[in-house]
Amino acid sequence: MNGGRLWTIARLELLQRVRTVSWYVLLGVFALVLIGVTGLAFLSFGGWEQSGAGVYSVVVYVTLLLVLLVSPTLSGNSINGDRDAATLAPVQVTLATTGEILLGKFVAAWITGLAFALVAVPFLIVATFAGGVLPWTILTSLAILVIETGIIAAIGVALSGILARPLFSVAVTYLVVAALAVGTLIGFGLIGSAVSSEAVSKSRYAATDAYGNMECRDGSDSCYGDVENMVCDDWQTTTYRMPRYDYVWWMLSANPFVILADATPTNFDTYGNPDDMFGWIKSGVRSAQLSPPLESTWDDCDPASYGPGEDSPTPEQIIAETVPSWFVGLGVQVVLAALLLWWAWLRTRTPARTLPPGTRIA
Amino acid sequence: MDSPGIVATGVRRSFGDVHAVRDVTLEARAGAVTGLVGPNGSGKTTLLLMLASLLAPDAGEIRIGGVDPISDPAAARAAVGWMPDALGAWPSLTARETLVMTARLYGIGRDDAAAGAARLLDEVGLGPLADRPARVFSRGQKQRLGLARALVHDPRVLLLDEPASGLDPQARIELRTLLRRLAAEGRTVLISSHVLSELEEVVDDAVFLVEGATVSSERVAAAATRQRTWRIRLADRDARAAVVPIAQTLGLDAALIPIDRRDVLVAFVTDNDAASALAALIAAGLPVAEFAAATGILEHTFLDLEGGRS
Repeated sequence: MNGGRLWTIARLELLQRVRTVSWYVLLGVFALVLIGVTGLAFLSFGGWEQSGAGVYSVVVYVTLLLVLLVSPTLSGNSINGDRDAATLAPVQVTLATTGEILLGKFVAAWITGLAFALVAVPFLIVATFAGGVLPWTILTSLAILVIETGIIAAIGVALSGILARPLFSVAVTYLVVAALAVGTLIGFGLIGSAVSSEAVSKSRYAATDAYGNMECRDGSDSCYGDVENMVCDDWQTTTYRMPRYDYVWWMLSANPFVILADATPTNFDTYGNPDDMFGWIKSGVRSAQLSPPLESTWDDCDPASYGPGEDSPTPEQIIAETVPSWFVGLGVQVVLAALLLWWAWLRTRTPARTLPPGTRIA
Repeated sequence: MDSPGIVATGVRRSFGDVHAVRDVTLEARAGAVTGLVGPNGSGKTTLLLMLASLLAPDAGEIRIGGVDPISDPAAARAAVGWMPDALGAWPSLTARETLVMTARLYGIGRDDAAAGAARLLDEVGLGPLADRPARVFSRGQKQRLGLARALVHDPRVLLLDEPASGLDPQARIELRTLLRRLAAEGRTVLISSHVLSELEEVVDDAVFLVEGATVSSERVAAAATRQRTWRIRLADRDARAAVVPIAQTLGLDAALIPIDRRDVLVAFVTDNDAASALAALIAAGLPVAEFAAATGILEHTFLDLEGGRS
């Protein structure tokens, strides 16, 4: 592995990228989208005051979304596209090794994806100036954004080395990204509700006459809460299905958006509510870890059950009592990307023993 | 001088059930230009890919300057300059950048790469186009860029796949001169081409490839000595009028002698037969303006081998 040659490969890719007009058009469109998103985010988070954290998180999320949407197109044909254009073999006959070629292209695709993050920087700065964004939040969220960009770039480059047809490898890269971003969500929802448990609800109400008036032993109109005097109906038991998301919550941990939210530290207001999107998504995902109540009881004839009952926990409490999972999800993604790159290396190395069906080496 | 630049023994390679190269045994001398001649689909490009260390043979041995490109591709690649038949140039890079980048991939320093690129661009006649993107190049110009790219690391062995295709006559002459010079510098040059008359003027040796196998030297020799056709043209009359006196002089049946445009075509078995026929024509007082073999040795041999195949 030679750093100079690796960087030359990356530079080759980047030079060609920066000389295409469509690339700048894409960046320009992205900037326009961010202008709109930032403006709307400020409106929806209630003006300039103290909306910084919210706006910041929205801009980071939109950037991640865009990188996920654009990156497969930019990286998903880097190797088989070169082979089709007959520019791969002239590089393979040089001293550049297969590993250097693959990693050089990966680095180039990563930097290309990061260019989008770079366009988002002014908007992030504006959001930060609005106040309320913690340095630690900035650091973590940007780090995750950079890593996620790299993972998608690696998957795209690897698939372009594994599959012969550029169109096909771009499509498969999109499918992998969709599986991570949307597929985990669908799997979570469907499996979670499919493996539902039976929940029992028991209830007993105060008896009423045909006119809907309470029946009291002393003949008065109202005796609610006066247990001695109340006439109670029989216990009624109903059963229903309760989805068990606590069994499948881990599926979400491979989702890039969840990883971003779960990894970023959350700042809470006095009511225990998060002040940004990261926090809200994090508490929503974390609450899936809690097992649902499978028994509930209501008894009119027992004043003890009248009370306000247990408060539902605040997001701050939920997050405090559940476990973070982002590093597991991120680890799974890194391993997936590394495995795919290794497979691509096997398929691209020269002198080639077997060729992917339907391809020429040059 | 005679140390073999390229040696291949019993090389075989198939893609699925397509046997691209069945049995190739060849030797290309250092300091000489060796032509690789064969019809379309005879396995020339596949063979060159194996020699260039891009493709592993299923069987057989290859040595490039004494190095096995399969077990030590890095050493083989440092020694080999390969020019592919497909014109692959990075479209938005200029000719100069293309050469500098390639040189950097061969581990050549920045300054040396730049100096080398400038020299090569002049050598292949791309100097005026050095800073234009390859996208706007014509086929012939891309071909020259490909040749320059194969030369950036000063390779001892050159593998050129159809280097002359798309070149104009002037560029072909320049290519010929360049190849002769490279060989004179002691390099091994293996060149494949369909333009046999071109090849004829530049190669020292020829290797014939038919259906993925090299043709044995005995068969080549036999094919080369089989009868060839000469073109004869007389200065003072057209071909129809020339047939009768030529036939009479050479003792042939005028009705059986073919005519091609301005020329009368006569077949001779050996060069000696042709020489004595020419002497006879001149002795008979015929104004011989042209007396030349209709096909070059390579083309003749090639067509003969081809004919023997079908």
